[in-house]
Order: sequence, then C-alpha cells, then structure tokens
Amino acid sequence: MRDDLKVGVFLCECGGNISDIIDLDEVRASLDVEFVGQFENLCSLNGRKIIRDAIFDHDLDRVVVAACSPISHEKTFQDYVKPLNPYLMDMANIREQCSWVHSDKAKATHKAITLINASIEKVKQSDAVDPIYCQTPDEVAVIGGGIAGMNAALSLAKQGTKVTLIEQSPSIGGHMAKIGKVFSPVKIAEECGMCLLNPILNELVWNENIEVLTNSKVIEAERRAGTYNLIVEKSPRYVDTERCIACGKCKEVCEVEVPDDWNDGLSTRKAIYRPFGQSYPESYVIDMDNCTKCSSCVKVCNMRAIKLRGRPERIPLQVGSIIVATGHKLFDMEKRPEYGYNRYNDVITQSELGRITGVNGPTKGKLLKSNGEVPKRVVMIQCVGSRDEKPDGHRYCSKICCTVALKNANIIKHKNPDTDVVICYTDVRTPGMFEKYYKHTQENEVRFIRGRPGEVVKKGDSFIVRTEDTLKGEFIEIEADMVVLSTAMEPSDGTREIAEILNIGTTEDGFIKESHPKIKPVATDVQGIFVCGTAHDPKDITESIMQAIASASKVSEYNYGGVEIEPFIAEIDKDKCILCGDCISRCKYKSMSIQNDEVYIDPMACTGCGKCLVGCGQKAIHVNGNIDEKILATIKGVLSNKNDDERMILVFLDNIGYTAADNIGVNRLSYPESIHIIKVISVNRVRPNHIKYALENGADGVFIGEFPGDLMYDEVERKVDRIKETLIELNENPEQIMFSKVYIPYFTGLARKLTDFDKKIEELNL
Amino acid sequence: MKLIPDKDILLFRSCLVSVEYPGVESSTKFVFDKLGIDYAISEKQTCCTGLGHYSDVFNQIDTSAIGARNFKIAKDIGRPNLVMMCATCYAINKKSVKLLNKKDDLRNHINQLFEENGLEHLKYEKDDLLPSENIFHVVDILYGKISEIPKHIKYDLSEYKIASHHGCHYCKVHYEDTIAGFRDPNIIDELIGACGCKTIGWYDHKRATCGTGFRQRYSNPDLSFTATADKMNALDDEEVEIVVHLCPNCHIQFDRYQPLISKREGREFEAIHLNIAQFIAIAMGGDFDKVIGVKAHTTPIDSVIKELKEVEQ
Amino acid sequence: MTSKQNIDDSPIDFAEKIIADVKNSKEEGVLKCVQCGMCTSTCPAARHSDYNPRDIIERVLEGDISILEDDLIWNCFYCYTCHSVCPVGNSVCEVNQILKQIAISNEIGYDKLYEYMGFADSYFTAAIGAIPEIFFEDIKNDVPGWWEFRNNLADIRDELELDPPLMPPKEVIDEVSKILTITGFKDKIEKIRASEEAKQ
Repeated sequence: MRDDLKVGVFLCECGGNISDIIDLDEVRASLDVEFVGQFENLCSLNGRKIIRDAIFDHDLDRVVVAACSPISHEKTFQDYVKPLNPYLMDMANIREQCSWVHSDKAKATHKAITLINASIEKVKQSDAVDPIYCQTPDEVAVIGGGIAGMNAALSLAKQGTKVTLIEQSPSIGGHMAKIGKVFSPVKIAEECGMCLLNPILNELVWNENIEVLTNSKVIEAERRAGTYNLIVEKSPRYVDTERCIACGKCKEVCEVEVPDDWNDGLSTRKAIYRPFGQSYPESYVIDMDNCTKCSSCVKVCNMRAIKLRGRPERIPLQVGSIIVATGHKLFDMEKRPEYGYNRYNDVITQSELGRITGVNGPTKGKLLKSNGEVPKRVVMIQCVGSRDEKPDGHRYCSKICCTVALKNANIIKHKNPDTDVVICYTDVRTPGMFEKYYKHTQENEVRFIRGRPGEVVKKGDSFIVRTEDTLKGEFIEIEADMVVLSTAMEPSDGTREIAEILNIGTTEDGFIKESHPKIKPVATDVQGIFVCGTAHDPKDITESIMQAIASASKVSEYNYGGVEIEPFIAEIDKDKCILCGDCISRCKYKSMSIQNDEVYIDPMACTGCGKCLVGCGQKAIHVNGNIDEKILATIKGVLSNKNDDERMILVFLDNIGYTAADNIGVNRLSYPESIHIIKVISVNRVRPNHIKYALENGADGVFIGEFPGDLMYDEVERKVDRIKETLIELNENPEQIMFSKVYIPYFTGLARKLTDFDKKIEELNL
Repeated sequence: MKLIPDKDILLFRSCLVSVEYPGVESSTKFVFDKLGIDYAISEKQTCCTGLGHYSDVFNQIDTSAIGARNFKIAKDIGRPNLVMMCATCYAINKKSVKLLNKKDDLRNHINQLFEENGLEHLKYEKDDLLPSENIFHVVDILYGKISEIPKHIKYDLSEYKIASHHGCHYCKVHYEDTIAGFRDPNIIDELIGACGCKTIGWYDHKRATCGTGFRQRYSNPDLSFTATADKMNALDDEEVEIVVHLCPNCHIQFDRYQPLISKREGREFEAIHLNIAQFIAIAMGGDFDKVIGVKAHTTPIDSVIKELKEVEQ
Repeated sequence: MTSKQNIDDSPIDFAEKIIADVKNSKEEGVLKCVQCGMCTSTCPAARHSDYNPRDIIERVLEGDISILEDDLIWNCFYCYTCHSVCPVGNSVCEVNQILKQIAISNEIGYDKLYEYMGFADSYFTAAIGAIPEIFFEDIKNDVPGWWEFRNNLADIRDELELDPPLMPPKEVIDEVSKILTITGFKDKIEKIRASEEAKQ
C-alpha cells in the first residue's frame, strides 16, 4: 500500500543558501524514510547521477527533493528522477519559502522538517501519469479575405502551411480594394491602393498552399483534441470560374441595373457583374436577388460558363488553427439623422468620397457633386458615431478617421486646389509620424475648425453646417456644397456571427477580444483561434498587416512545437455520464463539448480546476493525478509535525500566487514561520472539506490567494464566502479564513498580508 | 419594443391643458374611448409642479415630494400607469420616479418628512413605480394602438400639408424611452400616418424647441420669440398648414403667439395648431365644439380646415 | 491676463458639488467634457444670445463660482437638446438647473424668481401651476382674444363635458400645502418675497 512505498529524500545545501540557516543534520535525523542524502548542489549535472544511483540502489518508489522552489527547478528534477515517472517526484521548497524568509535557525529548521514531511506525505499519494503531448493538425483556416486575412494566409503558406482562405463576398480584397489611395506618413504622399494590393493578391492566387473559397462562410464549427471541424457553406456563383474568361459580354446584355455596392451605391451595375477590375476569382458572378432569369447572358456566353440554377454547397474542413480576419463595417448613418445623409445626395461618407476620388470609381476620379459640378467647399465632420456614448453610438475612438480625413482632404486639394476644405474636429489624432502628414495637410491650405457640428441642413442649393468654433467660442453656420462624414468603424456582421459560431469572447463593443491586451494580443480566449485586423478593433492597414503576420507566427508556433500539457485534467467516466450537459455550461475555460454522444474534454483548454466535478450529479468526472488526496496528504503532513505552542497557518496558492510568494524570498523579505504555503494546481481545487479538516486538526488559520485575472476568481471568492457562512453556523469564527487577491509583482503586499494575518490569528487565539 | 399598457391608466390632468386647451383633454378621452383604452381621472391628483420647477421656484425635493403623493394616489386606486397629456408633466414625473427609486437619500428624506408630519400614507417605497414601465405620454399609448387607429378614421385630412413638432420634454429628457426617435423625432409623424396622412417629415429646426423656454417667454420674450420664429419660418418655407404637437406649452407658444410673431417677422404665418389627440379626434369624427374644443384656439381651426371630406371606403 | 492656480486651489470641487446634487442624473458626466461644442451647436440660446453651454461647463470645471452671479445662466430654455446629444454623457441643461439652485441657496437670483412667485401662490390656493397673474397684462397685449377666452373658460369646459372641475377638493389643497411647508418650500418663498419687497 501507499504507506509501504519507499521514499528517498534528497537535501540540497544550495552552496550554503539553505544549510547556513537550516540545520540539515537535524533534518536528516528527523526523517523516517528509506533513504536520505545531502549534497552541496543538487541541480548541478552530477546531481542526476547521484539521484539515479540512489533510486536504483535503494529501489525507491518516490522521491522528495528538498531544495529551492519548483518554479525554478521542478523540470530539472523531473528529468533527474528518470526512469522514475516525473510525477512521482515532489519538491519541498526550503529555500525561497524557508531559509530566505526566516532568520531564526531553530524555527527555520523545524519548518523545513514540516515542509519535507508534507512533501513525503504528498508524494506517497502521487500516481505515475504521462504528460499529454498535443500535436494539432497543420492545416489552417483563415476567415475573411481582406488585407489582414490575405496577409495571414500568405505568411503561413510561405512557411509551407496549407491554408484555406474563406471569403463571404464574390471576391477577395476587402475594404482596401475600395479605398482608392493610401498614404505614407513618411513619404508624405498618397499612392494607389490597388497598386499595392494587387501584388499581394496575385502572390496569394498563385501560391499552391492556399485555397481560396469565395461566396463562402463558416456556418458550423466543433473542436476536438485541437482539431476544428468546420462546415463551410459556399453559395452558388452561377458562373463557372473555370470557364469564365471575364470577357464581359454577359453584362452588356443584362437589363437589370442595381446600385453597385462596391461603389457604395454611387453608380449602378448589372445583375451579372464583376465586383471590380482586379477582383479574384477572375470571373463574373450573378446577383440572384436581382436577376430576372431572362437568360440573355446564358445565350451570349461563348464559354458556356453560366448556369442559372445552383445550390449552396457544404464543404467540411478540418484544421488545427483558425485565424479570424472578418473585419469591420461602417456606422449606419440612419442613426445620426441630423446630418442628413439619407436626405441629401451630397452628404456622403469618407468611404464614398474614396470611391468618388478613385480613378476606378463612379466619376473616374473626378471630384464631382451629384449634379456633376465641382464642389466649392467641402466640410468634413469627424467622430460620427465614434466617441459617442449616446444610444447606437460607440464610446471608442475609431482611430483611423482623422488620418483618413487628412488624406482625402489632400486628395481634394491636389485635384481642385480651389475647393475649400474644412475639417470640423474635436481632437486631431495623428500620433507618431502621422503628425508630419497633419502639418503637410495644413500646408495644403486645408482648414481646421475645432467643434463638433450639431446638424446639417439644406438652404437653397447649399448646406449649412451648424457648429461652434470652440476656439473662438462662437456659434457658426458654415455654408458648404458637399459634406463628408467620418463614420465610425464597427464590427462587421461576419465578425459578430463568427464569434458566436466559434464561441470566442468579444468586447462590449462586439469586437473579437484578445486573450490579453499586452502579452497575448492576437490570441483569443479559445486555444488555437487567433484574430487579426479590424475584427479585433479599429486599426489601419499597416497595423492590420502586422497583426496578421503575428497571428500567422503564432499558428506556426503551434504547428512546429506542438503543445505539452500537464496531465492533471478532467476525465469523464462514460458509463456514468448521462449527457446532461451541466458540466459544459459550468466550465469557464470552454473546454467541454458533446461530440458523438459523449462529453469531450479538450486537454488543451482544461486547467484541472475541478469545477465540473462538483456539479456532476452522476459523479462521472474526476481529475487525473489524485489531486484531492494529494492536497489532503499535504495538509496532514504539515499538521503532523505541529508543536503544542506552535501557530500553524496554511496558505493555498496556485502558480501565480506561489511565484509571488517565491519573490518574497528572492527579495529577502520575511514573514512569520507560522506561514506554510501549499502549492495547488488551481485554487478551486481546495475543497471545503480540506479546509474543514485543516481547522479541525490543528491549523489556526487558512489563507487563500487568487489572481483576479483568473477566470475562476469570482467562483473561488464565492466559495470562500460560503465556507465562512458555514463556520458562522457552526459557531466558529469565520475570521480564521482569509481570501485575498495576489499578483506576481506585488510580493511586498503579499508578505504584509501574510504577516497581518498571522497577527490576527494570534489575537484570535488569545 | 417596450410594453405599452392599455389599461390601469391614470390619465394625468395637466394645468395648461385644463385652463388653456381643454379640448386636448376631451379629444384624448374621445380617442382613448374609440381605441378601448381603460383610463380614469382622479380629482385628488395635483399639478406636477413643472412650470414652477422649470422657473427654478421649486427645487427637486419639493417636486419629488409632490410627485410621491401623486404616485401614491395612482397606486391606491389601482392605476399605476400614469399617462400624461403634457410633455413637461411626463418628464417631471419620470424623473421623480427615477430619483425616488435610485437615490436612497432623497427617498428617505421625503419619507421621513411625511412620517414626522402625519403623512405616513404618502410614503414612497423603492420601485413602487418604474420609470419605463409606468410613466407614459399619451402618444406612447396611442402608438401602442397604432394598428387600430385606421379602423376608426372617418375624415380624410391627407390634402393638407402637415408637419410635426415634438415637445422637447417628451423626446429629449428621457431619450432612452422615447419611441420613434429623438434626433429625428417621428412618433407624431407615424401617428398621423396611421390617420392616412403623410407629414412633410424633416424640416429645418424640426427637433428644436418651440421657444417657450419657461421663463424665457415672460422674462426674455425677445429670445423666446426669436427661437419660435426660427421654427415658424422653417415651417412656412415648407408651406405647412397644420402643425401637430404633443404638449400644451408648445401649443400656447405656437397658437397664441403666432399673430405676434407674424408681426415681428413681417411675414403672415397662417398654420393652425393642433395637439395630436385633437388631430386624431378630428379624423375620427369628433365634434369641433364638443370634443376638439376649437373655441380655445387663437388661430381659428376653420381658417385651414374649412370642410371635412369623408374617407372613401 | 494671467490666471494663477495656487498649490492649494482645488477647482474640481465645484464640479464635484454639482455631481453630488440630487438632481444630477449623469453621474460623472460633467468631468468627462472635452469641450467639443456639440451642445452649443444645437442650443437655441447660444444661437440667439451670448449664452454658451460649452463655456458654462468650462467655467464649472475651472471652479469659477462667479458663474452663479452671471445673468447669462438664466438664458437656458431647458429644452434638453444638449442633454440629448452630448457625446460624453454630460447634461449642461441639468448642470444649469443645479447652478441656479446653488445660486438661490446662496441668496443669488432672487430678483429672477420674484415674478414667478405666482406659481408658488397658486399651489397653496388651488394646487395648480397657473400662469402668474403678473403676466396677464402682457398676454392680453400679445395675444388677441385671450382674455375673452379665459372669461369663457367655464362655458367651454362645460361644453366639452369636462369633469372633475378645475379646483380640487379642499383636503387635497391642504395636503399639498402641508407638503410644501414641510419641505421648506414655503419658508423659502416667504424669504424671497420679503427680500425682494424690502428692496422696492
């Protein structure tokens, strides 16, 4: 049985770091185990031989290494105990949490013995388990064929990865294909956007590792062992891309004219059309909502490429990772009717102005009003729908509108130097090099009025823009014959839909949320799914491309490295499970799902927190690795060594709290010897009966620390509250338990909290 | 859309309606009866304090204490849905309910005053009424029955050029509850649409104030009437014949002062002014003297509506 | 001209006082003002007078309490347009109302209220907010036929079969009079009236 297991304890002097404070002779004498060894530097390379020889010579079943923190050297010693299973070794942290925080040699020695005994009890409960290696499939789905998705796909393809690029519209290219000119803040010049986009598009089309699916969207997704099974629905194009040579005869005979969405409705197109000159696939497409099925196009097509009948096709796709690049849309101007967008033809958006000034646009690049005249004065209104907390508005800044307005103002000035351009702004946001472009715009005689206009009305042939010139403190009415609205960027419908289908988190504004804004800026809260471009938040082309490449790089990390996972994760007993699905909704890490009539736990997402076990009425779930028993054994081990006059406080911390506690030692601060820190895989695994046992068997206080960023934080806090309530019902003092936030850098705070708690417990005991 | 009640309604009497345009009250009742809305009037209910409040004479505590009393009356007679004919009564009461629910200090203070002075029966408990669920304007109730309105229309008013003026205190104070827009308010336009007519829609200054401005009309008439003139000029530019509103104070400003503003502007404004309830009541066949109350109007209704044409069935 | 901010000045206190007022429904809105001027661009008083709502907030945030004595604050129409469009969720309209209540509690602006005492009086006599009689002469001059109409009001109401009558029962009037006494309203009105009549 477990009590008969042969345990070896290896004491490390750590070159005096440990042995100067702790009397290792006394420690050695106190231990009742199969083997005890003591060495100057156990982590050095000859430590491996020492440990392995002892394991063989004494036929050891379990090993305790009493040395530094497992955070520093657990991996080292897991390796040194080979051929023993790595999880049959445990470390007693007698450096960071003993010799470095205590100065009283006798007390430190006593505490070291306690910690080592706890480790011995714990390691006896350990089972041999194997780490889980996950190798995800290499294939990647990139959803969204705009500038971000195209760059992500291309980067991966060039690294040898197979990519499927899924685009909802009939052509890839996205917003960038429409915007006309782009500008460089350094060159202080506008250049042709299509000329920059086209090489990328061509490269992508010719890359054999990329398959482009247009007219397609993901409609279903499920995940299993790091593999995503997607169902892509491809709508019929009604024109065979293999046969179509884009000669355009079909459109000549088509009699249906509808607003051309690629030109923001400023011109018309036929029901059979090519989205734009450089669109890919290089093929026409039929807009079946508007087609009258007159068949004229069918008759005129020499290539026999047109079929008026077609059905959506469902394509299954298996990938290891997904990059979401579903982009943005522009603010709906119906929500700000006071600007007259829906009433007046010459109140337009910056996007429409981009089309009007684009050489491939409705006026072939001439800046003209709807009546064909050149405008005398163009007034631009900034922040329409952005920085606006009123209903339907967005509180955030859309980030690109200031520079877009500057760019379009300059383009107007190049084309028609006599047209007066006025930008009504609240703040001009041109960080970094963009500031130079702002100055350049001023030099071009573009005028700036600081004020947020209230309304635009038509008087006679022109508009009146009502605003305050806030720098003068004067209400003014600016006459204009063209008004351009800088509309907010908001998540596209596709972005909102895919977030739901993939079950990835979004911000309150509906953008895809990154896993951490600083250190994980392209990961989502679901493993293996990454985000880039404006699906993530408002950003410009440069930033979209950078984020696209970053997300591709993250996918490559997965594909090359695989993922090693600690085996302490939940497992389902399929015989007991009744598929009630309760655990699926309880899991904060979205690790569970029902697949093939079984609850499936994704090892990459499960943290072993154990929340699922507690709620399972069938008791069909357990977490591998005997976690409960190990915690209980550790508690028993600590308490078994308690002296009569000794105060004993148990502190439960997971990785983050434990690192913070180590930092106290690393920085040579101190806390009372009564503090005994127990490292757990997840604070949530500390169960009420653990605490109950501890308090009934000699623990004077229990301290539980949790990082507020942990998804389980609220849960743990509620649990501690409930335990306190139970104590009150039992006439016990709830003050014996303390719950606290922990942060890695805030180790001084943790040291103080531990010291204060010790003092409080001392007072309670009086 | 939010739930609009059609029963348990206390039709909240308005001072200005009572003494200036009583026809608004009779027209509202006439239309409510046609639409089968369950309402009653209480003689115990008093003025909301609005005119005094917005003249800065009453502070929030005075106003909310009076409000608490009226809310209690509504609850006591089992008619917790307050429906106002006046935009200011609407805004004032909704704000008092919000504050009494949200600000414990205010509620406790008022309740303590009641308790210490033998008025325990008036005490207001948190959430006795809810601002969005219990406080309405007549237009909200009519909007709730908008699909019923066409069934009762007798006369065709679609020949006239009609514009709406939406009271500020209906649209802009509690804009989160405003139906059919507050940046381009349209609830009146939609109700007129249900009568088979089309308004001109947007016009310059559509969402602007009538110009009353409470103290401005009496203490600062130049400022007040200049603002009204903005509006009247814009309406006249569109050759509007009937202006429809939802608040008796706007009604006074437009109807009573139209002759004066005509003089000031040197431009003959000839539109007539009707409350939306009066407009719908006319379309439903209400008698001009016995229901619409045209005798109270300064600009004669028959200067524009000379005869009524029955709708073709 | 140089404006000096001394180390112990705390200009934000003025805004904090407004935020704490019972009437404020916009929480910290006033502190979030970025002076964009959208309020001014839609304000009827700014259009036709020197009143400037953006400037009101600027002065409040500067802690300029002289604004309480500035006649311009009395130009607000209380039309709430600024309140309905303010992109940061401030309400100059409410701030303005609060400023006036602060002014009145500091015995400023009594002259502005004096003409409106009729609103208070009618409450104690009839529990109704009638237009103060002091303005009747102006209305008679400005509005043709109004006086005759008012004299016929009872008949018109009769014809419309309006019930109950205008005047509420006595116990109702007594009850609201009591409410307005215990809230301190009555004392305030008497104080304003006495102070203004002493000046005359």
